[in-house]
This record gives sequence, structure tokens and C-alpha cells, in this order.
Amino acid sequence: MLAYIFRRLIFAAATTVAISVIAFVIIQLPPGDFVDAYIASISATGGQVSLAEAEGLRIQFGLDRPMYLQYFAWITGVVQGDFGFSVEWRRPVSEVIGDRLWMTVIISVFAILLSWGLALPIGIYSAVRQYSIGDYVFTFVGFFGLAVPNFLLALIILYFSFVLFGANVGGLFSAEYQLEPWSWGKVWDLAKHLPLPGLILAIGGTAQLIRIMRANLLDELRKPYVVTARAKGMRESRVILKYPVRAALNPFASTIGYLFPFVVSGSIIISLVLSLPTVGPLLLRSLVAQDMQLAGTIVLMLGVLTVIGTFISDLVLMWVDPRLRAGLDG
Amino acid sequence: MNRFSRYLVGFATLAALTSTTGLVVDAIAQSTLAESGLVGELEGATIIRDPARIPTSFSEAPMLAERVAAGDLPAVESRLPSEPLVIQVLDEIGKYGGTWRRGFIGPSDGENGNRINASDKLLFWDFSGTEIVPSVAKDWSISDDGRVITLSLRKGMRWSDGAPFTADDFVFWFEDLYSNTDIVPTPIADMSPNGKPGRVVKVDETTVRFEFDDPYFLFIDMLAGDTLIGGGQSVRQARGQTFGAYAPAHYLKQFLPENSSLEEVNAMAEAEGFDDWVQMLHFKKDWQLNPEVPRLGPWVTTTPINTPTWVMERNPYYWAVDTEGNQLPYIDRIVMTLAEDTEVLNLRAIAGEYDMQERHIDLGKLPVILENQEKSDYTVRLDLAFNGSDTVLQINQTYDEDPEIAKWLKNADFRRSLSMGIDRDQLNETFWLGVGIPGSAVPADSSPYNPGPEWRDKWSTFEPDQANALLDSIGLDKKDSEGFRLRTDNGERLRIEVQAVKAFLPWPQQAEMIAEQWKDIGIQADVREFERGQAMGRTRENKHQIMVWTNGGTELLYLFPRHAIPVDPTEAFMGPRWASWFASNGEQGVKPDDPNMLKIFDLFRSAGGQREQERFKTAQEIWKIVIDQQYGIGTVGQSPALMGVRIVSNKLGNIPSRVCIAQHCRTPGGSHPETWFFKE
Repeated sequence: MLAYIFRRLIFAAATTVAISVIAFVIIQLPPGDFVDAYIASISATGGQVSLAEAEGLRIQFGLDRPMYLQYFAWITGVVQGDFGFSVEWRRPVSEVIGDRLWMTVIISVFAILLSWGLALPIGIYSAVRQYSIGDYVFTFVGFFGLAVPNFLLALIILYFSFVLFGANVGGLFSAEYQLEPWSWGKVWDLAKHLPLPGLILAIGGTAQLIRIMRANLLDELRKPYVVTARAKGMRESRVILKYPVRAALNPFASTIGYLFPFVVSGSIIISLVLSLPTVGPLLLRSLVAQDMQLAGTIVLMLGVLTVIGTFISDLVLMWVDPRLRAGLDG
Repeated sequence: MNRFSRYLVGFATLAALTSTTGLVVDAIAQSTLAESGLVGELEGATIIRDPARIPTSFSEAPMLAERVAAGDLPAVESRLPSEPLVIQVLDEIGKYGGTWRRGFIGPSDGENGNRINASDKLLFWDFSGTEIVPSVAKDWSISDDGRVITLSLRKGMRWSDGAPFTADDFVFWFEDLYSNTDIVPTPIADMSPNGKPGRVVKVDETTVRFEFDDPYFLFIDMLAGDTLIGGGQSVRQARGQTFGAYAPAHYLKQFLPENSSLEEVNAMAEAEGFDDWVQMLHFKKDWQLNPEVPRLGPWVTTTPINTPTWVMERNPYYWAVDTEGNQLPYIDRIVMTLAEDTEVLNLRAIAGEYDMQERHIDLGKLPVILENQEKSDYTVRLDLAFNGSDTVLQINQTYDEDPEIAKWLKNADFRRSLSMGIDRDQLNETFWLGVGIPGSAVPADSSPYNPGPEWRDKWSTFEPDQANALLDSIGLDKKDSEGFRLRTDNGERLRIEVQAVKAFLPWPQQAEMIAEQWKDIGIQADVREFERGQAMGRTRENKHQIMVWTNGGTELLYLFPRHAIPVDPTEAFMGPRWASWFASNGEQGVKPDDPNMLKIFDLFRSAGGQREQERFKTAQEIWKIVIDQQYGIGTVGQSPALMGVRIVSNKLGNIPSRVCIAQHCRTPGGSHPETWFFKE
């Protein structure tokens, strides 16, 4: 068991190093660099940059150095906890991400809890009351949620909340709280803005989890041990919750690996559409602008979290599913 | 409209919001544009140059009066120069106060604030963009030989921190910043006519001289234009730039090694988290990032641009007054909120969350914008541009990857045929809602640079028969079974590649429509969409055949020539090799083998030393060649597509019904936002 964990840890570390290299290289692959992207964005918005100036900027940002030197300069800093400097935001990377990280975590955790809170009971209900009217209704809603792209839903909701309720468009704070320091009023304002993006983020995932939960549980419910338990006169709620639900929970545990990066990045497209100040749009923007150290740090962070998440999900799986534990020992 | 049909409209507009083509055309055709009331007459605040009209008593905003009363600030009389800039406001003397809400799209959107503060330029253009007027400098003169330009400054003028603004700030910029190769690695062409570097000399506290070896009459235009030398502190000392002719010496000196030692400034830099003193200096002089840097503009930053809100507050030492002696600006504060995406910005504008916004507003959304005018209490104005074409097919004259293609791109008759194969009316109806003017790339007929109305249509009307005949006559008469013309080297289909970027217009979609139209003249065009940075990289490497871009800015040919003729290697869509040859005075690149282009280069080079009227003539000659040769194929222009859809809250006063939208007008800076005010 310990040897297993140790082995996984070694692999995780190696993967992380590989991710850092690949992240940096892939981001650099398209021709051009930050200065090109910068010139393009300036001229598209009615400014101008001369060639002399562009060369000056390249030297200033160290873009005239070969790629491997740029990588080593960055990764040496990362190891020491300095994630470099974002040339687009002109602030240290840690500050740029730090500003948005908590907001992202709040929204994402809210969305995950919402989607689990909805999916688990509904999935169980749908499986236990298979082919009931309730099951059909949830199945319909579930497929609808799966089929409609989330960003479209976000757009529609955004538009109607403006047309019908004159609601504040996008963002997480009302204009009057935007500039204020934290206060109870601001927290309440955030609480009012949170459900909508949370719900939109949660809907796609919820639909999927309902279907998985329902299918898994149906498989379990037909197994002989359930029949035996019933035959012995065990209470119905206990029959279902004690083992079948626990076994059906496996897919939840195995998705933890993907939840971690989701928690810190949020959904890129939805955040963009709803103008949420999360890490997602930051990643997109940094990639477009070829803001290397920021993009590299976010990709590295997502990679590392996926690795950690997968590791944890392996441990959790072993904990919820005795069959895996048995396989390991044997 | 009942509720249900309103929902339908909602869905339709939603479709418009999600698609870039915005086909929900509530046909506001050109003919009805005048009657629509959306396009007004050019008007705006004017600069009073008669010293007799300088007010004798002054007043100030209540928020500053409070600070004066508390002893934090000197009285308004001693904050203003003895000869302040006097602005005749458009309609009425304004009231002080209020916050101007506006949107921006991130740290790269610095121009958003630069332009509002554009009066920190030395000279400026009037509201119509045709006449040069004073701004920071009180007056100017040029010697008869055109080699010495003298600027007079305002006596007693002060930086936003109260320190005097004098000729020393110019000398400091020239000697300590611009001439230091650590800060500015390469000198700029603006300061070196014909490659000979000029000098900045202090005559007395309020008089500065620029001296050049060659006649440089154009320099006055350069000082007023959005150029490296004349752009002003806001734009030219932000984002790592160190141009703009003056700088706050008293503040920036402490960050330079000359005044202490290299070790000392580097230690200071390290303590503040910068790599070295140069990086620290670039931060310290950047008004978008550093609220402490002394400024001349009407508003100063209080919350920097790299946060979710970019906030500016009035400059207590702003040196302009209205005709009754009220110190400007009227509006206390500008709060710009970050929109992660321009779609959100547009929706917020439609919801009335901005008081005045023209930047990033999409012409394609005009129907929805108009529909919500009453509900969100704003008025929509369309401002028309003066440049010839919002979409130009710029043809690479130095392309060499495929010799057969290169041969045709360099053939004037081939280019003319491509131009005559474009149905500009269809483009106009689809992408400009019919409000643009179809034609060639020449600037508006009203411009002194325009060679004459006949050049609007020259080779630039839809003549498919003529185009077909012309193509047949130049040797492209063989076609395949689908009717496409064949290459002359290997008999395969001739395929032209059009490079397009989705920037502020849906260029890829427009290019697709043109490619469709070219089928009728037997030309196969493949539209390739690139991410913009990638497109720029390809252009630098001379890989593109035709690039779709705007020619905004070319209305003042000498100040922003790069999208009219290939003279600036930064964006040399018409021939990067030729542009490097021109810019390096023949040291790099390739000398054009096209006598017409050599003629253009000669004309362009001679213009700097010519006086205004002669310069206009030279520009007209250049435009005639450019249009006759069709190096750039113009399509539709003089439209509100870029910064021309203006959403203005009905609460704001002194708002012009039409403003100049152009590079040199620094939209909206040219209409002096410091004279706008909240009526209630």
C-alpha cells in the first residue's frame, strides 16, 4: 500500500516537470510573440507602434533570448516561488492570478456542490422509481441540460435577465460595490450574483451525473445481494443506501481528478460570456496575447492540480470501494 | 409591440449578438442616413486664442474648494497658469461633479484612457480635425528655412502635483530619457528627418526650440498628430514607451542613475520588486500603472489599469478653463469597469450602464442599440470616419514564395480586375448596414489630401465584364471546367490566398463574400483566417499574398502612412521587403523594381521639407498613383464602424452631435471631454 502511494508520487512529480516544459513549448509554437500580438491589438484599437519601439519592447521583456533560456529563467523562479511577471498585466503573475483565484474557487465550489446536491438525490430517485413520471421528467431535463451548450444558455439567460428584470449584466458585483472594500453589504451583493453563474456552470455537469448515477444504481439494484437483503426484510432505505449507492458512487470519486483544475479555472467560455472575474478568461487572454509567464503558470497550475486530483481520486476510490483495496492486497 | 413579439425580437437580437455578421439589418440605408437623425453636423468645443478673452477671475470644483479650505491645496488662481487654455464650450457652461461610467476590456486597452486625456499633447487639432490649435503649448512658430521650430509654454503652468512645468521638462526628456540607449534603444524617425538627428534646446523657462539640419515643415503636424513625438505624455510614456517630447523631470530624476549611482537605483528597483532600474523607470513614468506620476491631462489615475476598475480623478492643476473662468474638467471622476469580452461590454452599454461609450461598440448591433434608447435613457450618434476604406485588400508586392502568384500580384491590370470584380454595394448592405460609402481607398472628398472626386470610383466600381475582358487580355484566358482561370506555368487552377484576421470588423466573413463575388470573374480565392499575432508574424516573414486590413489613419497620409503605402516595416502589408528598403534608406530589404513605387517613395520623402499647401499637392499625387495602381483595393469606408457608434446618456451636456473620428482627433479627445458635464 505505501509502496503503491510512493510509486504514484514519483510518477506525479515526473509528470509535473514534463507538463512545465510542454506548456512552455506549446504556447511558444505559433509564430510571433507577445510584441507581435501587442502591436496587432494596439493597431486594431486605433493606436500605433513603430518598429523601433517594438524592438525596444522585445529587449525589455527578454523576448530576444532563445526559448530555452526564457524557460529556465522562468522555471528557476517558479521553484523559488516566484512565478514571473505578466507582460500584459504588467504585474507579478502571482498577484494577477491571486486576485482572481479566490473568486474562481468560490464560484466553482458553489457550482460543484450545487451539481452534486442536485444530481445525487435525483439520480437515486430516477433509478429507484424507474419509468415513473418523475423519472421521465428528470430524464427529459437531464438530456436537455446535456444537449444545450452551456455558453448558449448563459447568453440566453443574460439577455433575458436584462430584458425582463433589467438586471445588472455580467460580473459578480453591482456597480456600487465594485470599488468598495469588503463589507457585509458586499458579501450579500456577491451572494445575490452567485446563483446564476453557479447554476449555469452546474447544469451541464448535473445532467451528466444524473445519468451516470441512475445507470450505475440500476445495475447494482438488480444484483442478487440486493434481492437477498430485501428478502431478509431489511428497510428499503437501508437496502438502497448501504451498498448499492456506495458502489454507484465510484464515478463521483474518479472525477475528482478533473474537479481540481475546474475549481481554479472555472469554465473559460461561460466566464467569458458572463464576464466573471475568474482565472478562465485570464488563461484565454494570456494565450492570445502570448503572455508567456502568465500562460505558463496557469497551464502548469492546472496540470499540477490534475495530477494531484488524480492521485487523490485514486486514494478515495480505494477508500469507498473495498473491492479495489482487496485487489491491491492480493 | 406585445410581450411575445418582444421575446421574438429578443431572440433575433440574440442571434445578432452571437454572430459577427449581424444580419438583422433594420435597413438604415445611406439615403435615409441623413433623415435618421443619427448623423449630425461636426461641432465641438473651440479654443479661444484671443488673449483679451482670458477670464480674470476663476472658480473651481466643490471637491477642490473643500481641499483649499482645509489647507491641502493652494487657491485656484495660483494653480492655474497666467495664460490658461480657454475653451469655448459647445452649448452651455457646465456644472461640476459626477462620475462618468465607462467600459474597458483589460490592461491592453490603455488607449481608452489615453484618448480621454489627449489634451496633454503639445498641439492638437480642432473639433473638425482640419486645423491645428494650441494645447499644452500656448503658441508655435517655424523659421523661414523650416529648420527651427519654437514652442511657447504657459507661464505658471503646473504638473498635477503642483510642481512647475517648464522648458526644463523638455530638455530632461531629450537628454536624460530619449538619448539614453538603455531607455530608448533606437532613435525615432520623428526626431530625425532624412536620418539626421535633431536637438531640443531651452531658450528660457517658457520657450523651447526644436532644431533640425534639414527643412522640416511637417514637424508642426507631427506635434499635433498621434505621432511618437507629438502623442502626449498619456500615450507616449505608457507601456514601455519613452517619447512625447516632455516628461516630469522633478519626479523621474530620482529613478535615473545619473543623479545617484547605478548601484543605488538598482537597489531601489530590487527593493520594489523590479529586475533593474530601467524596468522600474518604465513603470514609474506610466500613468496607467503608477498613480504617483505627475501629469498634465485633465484626469489622473487613482486605481491603475491592471485591476478590475480603472479609476481617474480630476487633475487639480489642470490648466484649462471655460470662458467664465471655471477650471475644467467639469466631471469629477471616470470609472471604467473591466468587461472580459466586448459582447458583454456592448450589452452593458445597451443596458445603460455607461454614461458615454463609443469604444468597442459594434455597428452590427445598431438595431438593438436603437431599440433600447428610451428604456436605457441614452441617445445614439453615428460619427463618420474620413479614411477611404474600413476594409482594404492590401496586395503584397514583394511576395516571392510562388513565382506565378507573385507575377500576377505585381500586375496592375490583374489588381484592377480584382477590384472591379467586387460588388461593394452588397458588402455595404451586409456588413455596414448600408451606412458606408463604397469606393477606392482615397480619404474623404472633403480632405485636402483627396486628389478629386473622380478617384473615389477609379477602378473601384463593380464591372465584372470589364474585369473579365482585362483578365483575358493579360494572358489569363484559359479556364477549367468550373470556369476558374488557370495558372500559366503548370495549367492548374490559379488560387489566390487572402489572409484575414477577426479584429474590429468581421474581416474573414467579408473576405469570404468577396471570394464568392470573384467566382464571376473566374478567380479562386482561398480565405485563411489567422489569429492576429500570427498574421503579423506571417506578414513580417513576407508570407502573405493579400491581407485584409483597414486604412484608418491614412487620411493624414504623412502622419500614418503605413496602410496606404509600404514605408513602415511595422505593418507593411503591401510589401515588407520594400518597406525595409525605404525605412533603412536602402541598407536592408529590396529596392522596388516598380517605377511607380519608386516615384511614390520620392514624393513621400520630399514632403517633410515642404510647406503645407505643397505637401497637400504631393499627397494628392501619391494617392493618384496608389489608386491607379490598386496596391490596396478599397471597398467601403467613411463609416461609423470604428469608434463611430456613440452611446451617450441623456444626462450629459455639451455633447457634439457629430465628432471627428480619426487617429489624429484622438476620439473622443478632440471633442474635449473635460467640457462635458452632468445636467442633474
